[in-house]
Amino acid sequence: MRLQSLMPAKSIAFCVLLVLQGRHSAFAIDGYQAPPQSAAPAKDTIPADTAITDAPKQVEALSAFRKDGKANIRALGFTPFITGQQYVKGQLAGVYVQEPSGEPGTEQNMFVRGIAMPLLSKRELFDNQAAVYLNGVPLAMDNPFAYEIQQYDFNRIGPATNLLSTLNIDNIESIEVIKDPARLVQLGPVAANGVIWITTKAASSGYRKISINGYFGFAPQQQVTPINAVYENKFRLPFYDKFGTLNDRFNYPAYLKDSSNADYYGPSNWTDLYYKNKPLYNIDLSLTGGSDRANFRFFGAATRDANTADETALQRYNASFSINVLPLSWVTVSSLINATHMMRNRNRNFVDRLAEVRYLPDVSNPLPPNKNVYQSYLGEFDENVKDDNTTTSVQGYFNILAQMKGFRYNGGISFDYNEGTRDVFYPTQLLEGNNFVSNYFGFNQRFVFNNALGYTWQVNADNKLDFEAGQNYQTTLNKFNYAYGYNGPNNFIKLNIVEGDPNQATYLQSTGFDVFYHPSNQRVSVASFFGKADWNYKGLLDLLAIVRRDGTSVMQPDNRWYTGFGASASWNLHKTFLQSSSLLSALDLTASFGRNGKLLSDDRFAGGPNYRSDLSWSGAPTIGSYAGLPGLSRPYNSGWVGYGIPWAYVQTASVGIDAGLLQDQLHIGLDVYQRSDKDMMLPVPVPAESGYKSAYASGMEVANTGVDLTVQGTVLKATGHKPGLSLFGNVNYNENKLKALPNGLQRVVINDHLLQVGERIDAFWVYKNEGIYATNAEVPVNPANSRPMSFQGAPMQAGDARWKDMNGDYTINEDDKVLLGNSLPKITGGFGGQFNYRALTLDFHFYFALGHKLLNKYAAQRLDFINTDATASIDGVKEISWWEKKMDLTTYPMYNPWSNTIPYRLDQDLFLDKASFVKLRSVTLSYNLITGWKGTGKSQVFKQATVYLTGANLFTITPFKGDDPELVQYNGIYTGAGLPIQRSFILGFKVDL
Amino acid sequence: MIGKKIATASLTALLLTGTLPFTACNKQLDVNSTRQSDEANSWKTIDDARSGLMGIYGLFRAAVADNNAHWLYGELRDGDFTALKRPDLKAIIEGKLNASYPIIESISNWRRFYAAINACNLFIERSADAMVDTRYTEVNHKVDVAQARVLRAFLYYYIVRIWGDVPLLTQSYDNGKFQQFARSPQQDVLGFAVREVEDAAPLLPYVYGGGDPVLPGQVYHTKTYTEWKNTLINKVSAYAILAHITALQGNYYATAGYTDFVMQQYSRISINYLSVADLTGKTGIFNEQAADLATDQNQFISFNFVKGLGEATVSGHIEQLTLAYPLVSKQQPDIYITNDSLASMFPTGNGQDQRFGVDTSSVDQGTPTLYRNAYITGYGEEIPIFSKIKSINGGIAGEQQFNVFTSAILFTRLEEIALLRAEALTVLGHESDAITLLNNIRSRRNVNAFDPAAPGADLLKEIFEERRRELVGEGWRWYDLVRYHKIKKEDPAFNALISTGGIYWPVAREVLNSNTQIVQNPYWK
Repeated sequence: MRLQSLMPAKSIAFCVLLVLQGRHSAFAIDGYQAPPQSAAPAKDTIPADTAITDAPKQVEALSAFRKDGKANIRALGFTPFITGQQYVKGQLAGVYVQEPSGEPGTEQNMFVRGIAMPLLSKRELFDNQAAVYLNGVPLAMDNPFAYEIQQYDFNRIGPATNLLSTLNIDNIESIEVIKDPARLVQLGPVAANGVIWITTKAASSGYRKISINGYFGFAPQQQVTPINAVYENKFRLPFYDKFGTLNDRFNYPAYLKDSSNADYYGPSNWTDLYYKNKPLYNIDLSLTGGSDRANFRFFGAATRDANTADETALQRYNASFSINVLPLSWVTVSSLINATHMMRNRNRNFVDRLAEVRYLPDVSNPLPPNKNVYQSYLGEFDENVKDDNTTTSVQGYFNILAQMKGFRYNGGISFDYNEGTRDVFYPTQLLEGNNFVSNYFGFNQRFVFNNALGYTWQVNADNKLDFEAGQNYQTTLNKFNYAYGYNGPNNFIKLNIVEGDPNQATYLQSTGFDVFYHPSNQRVSVASFFGKADWNYKGLLDLLAIVRRDGTSVMQPDNRWYTGFGASASWNLHKTFLQSSSLLSALDLTASFGRNGKLLSDDRFAGGPNYRSDLSWSGAPTIGSYAGLPGLSRPYNSGWVGYGIPWAYVQTASVGIDAGLLQDQLHIGLDVYQRSDKDMMLPVPVPAESGYKSAYASGMEVANTGVDLTVQGTVLKATGHKPGLSLFGNVNYNENKLKALPNGLQRVVINDHLLQVGERIDAFWVYKNEGIYATNAEVPVNPANSRPMSFQGAPMQAGDARWKDMNGDYTINEDDKVLLGNSLPKITGGFGGQFNYRALTLDFHFYFALGHKLLNKYAAQRLDFINTDATASIDGVKEISWWEKKMDLTTYPMYNPWSNTIPYRLDQDLFLDKASFVKLRSVTLSYNLITGWKGTGKSQVFKQATVYLTGANLFTITPFKGDDPELVQYNGIYTGAGLPIQRSFILGFKVDL
Repeated sequence: MIGKKIATASLTALLLTGTLPFTACNKQLDVNSTRQSDEANSWKTIDDARSGLMGIYGLFRAAVADNNAHWLYGELRDGDFTALKRPDLKAIIEGKLNASYPIIESISNWRRFYAAINACNLFIERSADAMVDTRYTEVNHKVDVAQARVLRAFLYYYIVRIWGDVPLLTQSYDNGKFQQFARSPQQDVLGFAVREVEDAAPLLPYVYGGGDPVLPGQVYHTKTYTEWKNTLINKVSAYAILAHITALQGNYYATAGYTDFVMQQYSRISINYLSVADLTGKTGIFNEQAADLATDQNQFISFNFVKGLGEATVSGHIEQLTLAYPLVSKQQPDIYITNDSLASMFPTGNGQDQRFGVDTSSVDQGTPTLYRNAYITGYGEEIPIFSKIKSINGGIAGEQQFNVFTSAILFTRLEEIALLRAEALTVLGHESDAITLLNNIRSRRNVNAFDPAAPGADLLKEIFEERRRELVGEGWRWYDLVRYHKIKKEDPAFNALISTGGIYWPVAREVLNSNTQIVQNPYWK
């Protein structure tokens, strides 16, 4: 009797399918990115006793369900990475990960095979993310609707902790990507953007097995070039000498005026307090065991990730428990509960703090670079500031599989619940004598109900048919309560206290703070029905067809349901024609097609035209009343919604070939795909006289075309005293193109984006810079009316930038902006390898992103200091890290910073920099004590014992002149505000008892 | 095998519960958004009508508050303020309205005004539906619609002042089709506005919730007289608007008529002349519906920001631009009136002007030691702070930490209407009546009476100079200059500006991009 660990129904369905496929070894091309089993890793484990190796076989069969690439879990187990995105970075062909800041636990982005729609805001960023399934449960993420009440979208309100930081690598069996269109159709609309499929280590029967893993290490202090006012003064004076007036000098910033001010002109040693050596660790333990009819697994872990900068850290505790029970011989019941608790120490940046406070104090003088002054600022954080961020997440499921005479039923209930709380108090000292309190509680809750019936019909020896029909219902609730208050009585009262006397007129009104309260919630349900048929002929040919119908509450009643379908075929060419080939050991040809509905992440479309609270303006985003009475209006700012919105859908076709050469020593997988996302909605600008900023219209189509290539080979086979070497690599080439816009439009301008049919959707829209007008005489004059070249009507003068007049009308305006570059890389991937000699193993992994650009806002703001200093917006806020030289600015031309044409404006190719990079992600040297210690290869106590040393993020190769081309916001803008992706060194061990 | 039976039974139960959602799922998919009201649930109750009406006021307020636009349009250009550091404000002051600063681009866009106009149109068309709710009476509905009509006219007047010719939309076109409309001649737009207010004003009550003949009862839309005061458009304010529209048309005959109505009836809405203390106090006329003033109402037309109602904001107030230390924690103001400008605004006649006056006889080392400075904090310093309006966080005494403001965007008050009437009468040749009005204001500010016999006396000029002194910081200066020069026609440069359309703002590119029928103002082409 064997036990089977269960996943929710749909996955089971696939699993069964793949069990069928798996019988033919050529089909089960699983994990071909991991080093071949013949290579070194086997040496890390000693041959286990039979009772244990027998039991989990079924489990392996499940996880060996063919995906489209698998992360190298073994090597990841030696690294200090903590988030799902970090695990897959550079590991899976076609999966691109953005890490805009190295701050532990902050949000990271993950795209599979490009993006489906332009990244205009955090909403679209959310809508483009790949779905993550944990043991078949699609994880619920933070919905971006919270940004509606925010003035700035730097961070989401609340703890804003990356919800994929919950995953501990030591509890993960496999991380895979699903890109195959037909299989994504099987998973339904949630999976429209591609899927990262994570499977935790399963319970297994046998004598109890204990694994203990641990590491300890540190993130070394970052070495940077601090600057002080002398530097800034020297940088600015030439501009004053060349272009400034007496009045401009009079307005010279106060902190730079007085060169005897030691705070600014003295030593710049703030870095001693900002960058520090920081410890990081992980310790975890797992316990597995059980009998023939029941088994279990427990996992517990404590992890700390820290960044060298600004005392940022993430503390995490994991606990996981799973059981499999066989109550009847034909029924398996499986259950898992997985809990994580995380606490995050956030950065102490001004911008992040002021964005939370949404109140801008006077920021004309930056914090001085002097250690002593900075210490007193930090002292406030130690003494009075409260910033508690906790995130707790629980996932679990209860699944049943019943099998009898070819029939099977599987069903179950899964849930994912995660909640975040953030309690903030900023004392008067930090906010001009004014204090601030905010409290956030929010959760995302998802329930999934599955039922599926299947039947396998072995028609004859050659033909096998498998049918399945099923249903899935998923409901997700996102909710938050958020309140903030200003101007409390003092720094000791950090709570909002209300009047408690019901007889008072002010009953329940705040007595201390001026309080604003924002509750919000959104519920989305998806119901699905599907049917699937699979025909397998002799294990040579496998044909799969699936059709599904999905309905969701976010669509209007007349367009509530959508029919998705897909088909795929695999043909084992090797077995059919080439069994005698000495060169080829495997050759498979696959083709797949799928059309899958896409879900909307916002519930505002289901009701058609609507009325909402839209009375706010840019400086006051949360005003919803007039004279204290709620005011409703058409959604003038957020955009008109009409009727007849069709489902958006993604249609993908791919063809792939997988080949094994030289007795499987070399594996090559190549996939060519064409993904079209169609009928998507876009807020299209409408005549301003309608009052609307935009109207939502369907019809946007974006195509992503590309190639995924994975190669993996054994260069040297380790035998006895000979060293072994295996190498692997993956690369994705992806091009996106806007195929159509709603209403047949050819181009649309939305904020600073131009979307033009036929062009990329992530292109920058910029002026072409061609130098400088050194004198007024150099400014071209329009022969038609003798007027000089102008910028939107304002004549150009000496000291202005020479922007290319694309249309030759002697006026530089939007019409002269061009689409250049792209913010998403064209080529992404990673490569690495494993070298082993006896008990020593060396793993290394590089990742790269090539062919993309960034818009250097850091340089633009530094050079445009006149406008940056004068601006009344949060863009003018200077962090302590403003006193760090991130790049050399002397190579830029010297324009007149006072000019009304804003020569250092960001939207010009002067600030478009190459952002390609190759990075060494990790290097691990591990030593197997079992085989190494006296070379016995046997131990009475330990089944496995390995010690290792890992260095992470060791170096970067890039043409970019700033600090790190990876620290770029999702839209390709580099501000220099991201905390460094830290270098770290850890020493660890892995022991199995 | 009892154990097996139990297991089978419990499994069967589980399978059944598992299939439950199967049947109920379609119903489960009807989920209403909690963050909006869908079409199907709208215009059904009195609450919908009230929310719609408040929506109009709120959108109007948002349009004039966004980026402090009310002052950026009206106060800065060629005005008395100087920008300290901000280049965008400096460009506006210098009339470089095509400078490429984000704020200038943003306020060149008239969309927010049209949002409020569309809301008016929609309310006029749809609010009658809400009368299915018997609580929403005919009388109530009539008054609501009258307000919407006056507000729409007022909005058109407001944008004609800024852009000249603007598209005239009198229907909501609420069908998702988004037609393009060209600009209508401003005289057509103003003509429409005049007719609308003339029609609607008689339907409006003098007071809300105060037992008005047009609107009986002590409660209007859940609020009483004291709660509504200085908040909604009433009959007198409608005629005040009419007076201004006709003045913009140059129809001073009509202006004289409408201002006459206002001057006759203002006491019916409990309005009176203000003392300088009431004008400039922290809890004076500007603060929170002028709740702390002795008279009940004092603002003819205003958009209030009441702290207790959760509407205190940082932006949307002139204080955000003008105040600085020691009144608030900000170190330096964005804009200020230089000492030289102060001297020219407030000539030293007798030095007794209660708003601002300098006694030139008391000079110590070149600086006057005796002065009245109700408008100014820190006179004599390099950067005097304009502190006529300073409603900080509800006007709490001593408040300087928390820089949210609660001052109203005040469109007009009695002094302003009196001066407008004096202007109209002067143009019409009734100079003695105009002098009486002017001197009434002047005596209240302790300024010497205007003497027509004095050499070089220029009544019209004096009226506008008085407006400049009295209304500084209330968003009038630029429009006053335009009217003055339209009457006087003395300044060739300004005449050229008027004839070429340079007195208007350019239209934002965003507006031009989304409507091919709109052409840029020729001056800014």
